[in-house]
Amino acid sequence: MTEQLKSLTAQLTPDLWWLSVPVIIALFLLLRLLNQRVKHVILKSLTNPVFLSIAIIALLLVNLNLPYTKFASHSQLLSWLLEPAIVALALPLYQQFVHVRKNLLLIVTTCSLGIINATVVAFLLSMIFAVPTQLSASVAALSVTTPITLIVTESLGGIDSLAAALVIFIGLLGALFGFILFKLIKIYNHEAQGVAMGTACHAIGTAAALVEHPKIGAFSSVAMALSALLTAVIVPFLYPILVNTLL
Amino acid sequence: MKYVLSSAIILLCLAAAKFIMHSIGGSFPAPLLAMVILLLLLLTGIVKEHQLKPCASPILNIMPIFFIPAGVGFIEHLGLIKSHWPFLVAIILLVPISTLLLVSSVIAYFKGRVNND
Repeated sequence: MTEQLKSLTAQLTPDLWWLSVPVIIALFLLLRLLNQRVKHVILKSLTNPVFLSIAIIALLLVNLNLPYTKFASHSQLLSWLLEPAIVALALPLYQQFVHVRKNLLLIVTTCSLGIINATVVAFLLSMIFAVPTQLSASVAALSVTTPITLIVTESLGGIDSLAAALVIFIGLLGALFGFILFKLIKIYNHEAQGVAMGTACHAIGTAAALVEHPKIGAFSSVAMALSALLTAVIVPFLYPILVNTLL
Repeated sequence: MKYVLSSAIILLCLAAAKFIMHSIGGSFPAPLLAMVILLLLLLTGIVKEHQLKPCASPILNIMPIFFIPAGVGFIEHLGLIKSHWPFLVAIILLVPISTLLLVSSVIAYFKGRVNND
């Protein structure tokens, strides 16, 4: 049965690659609709539309023996649009700046500490596990939202797609267990919880923070936006320093 | 017209950043430099929020779609993932836990552990 399916897809796919972009868009919008209808906080994290879209497409490509290179070349339009979308991130960053001016120094400092910590911890783990350089470069910028991870990881010579998948996993875990961790360490301050979630678990963590309390969500989105900017500045400078001093 | 102006602002920032990075031969990602340039233009009032919004808001709304093709690319590295899975599991657990602990503790040190509204 599987073999028959594989031979059928092998016959059909050369004519159907143009469907890559519409299929991605339709699948994402459908999954986002599903995610918006889910109210339970854990189920909401698990039905994250980006996570599910990537998982479903990856499963289809692997199980039907479809070449990723073909898929990538036919969906290049979406990858190209990522660049102007990153530029447009200046808008939420500006909107958040205006709202948190009086706490800006503390939030910038703690976000920077969080990013430095994530990069150093990932680098130390790379040394402990003695992984190849390409893999250690892939985990240097994980404490930030996916589009920034893609671009920073690529500039460091890492595997951007692997970093993107890891970032999504980190966000999901943070959304599922972040607030349990805060209870364990007895930190209930909304500002502390929000900034920590935004810095460590970016957009997926921010979505969970918004469900927990609007104020936590607000601080989380501030931290997420600032982390996007700070990661782009800190990691490309910090990572080479770590490589040159510790390796 | 408002869409043309909004998209022109974004694309001009991107083009300027690419030109700067090409001229100095640096390795800093051009779209990120463009984001910083646009943020500075907004903060200084040269570009107004309402001029940028028409194109920026919809593109941000559907932004996650743009990184799905790249995200799927991890299937090209399944061998690497299989041979280094303990490392990747350690990364997924320790990076966020340590960051959550550090950031929340530092802010709690300055602002208190309970909510002070």
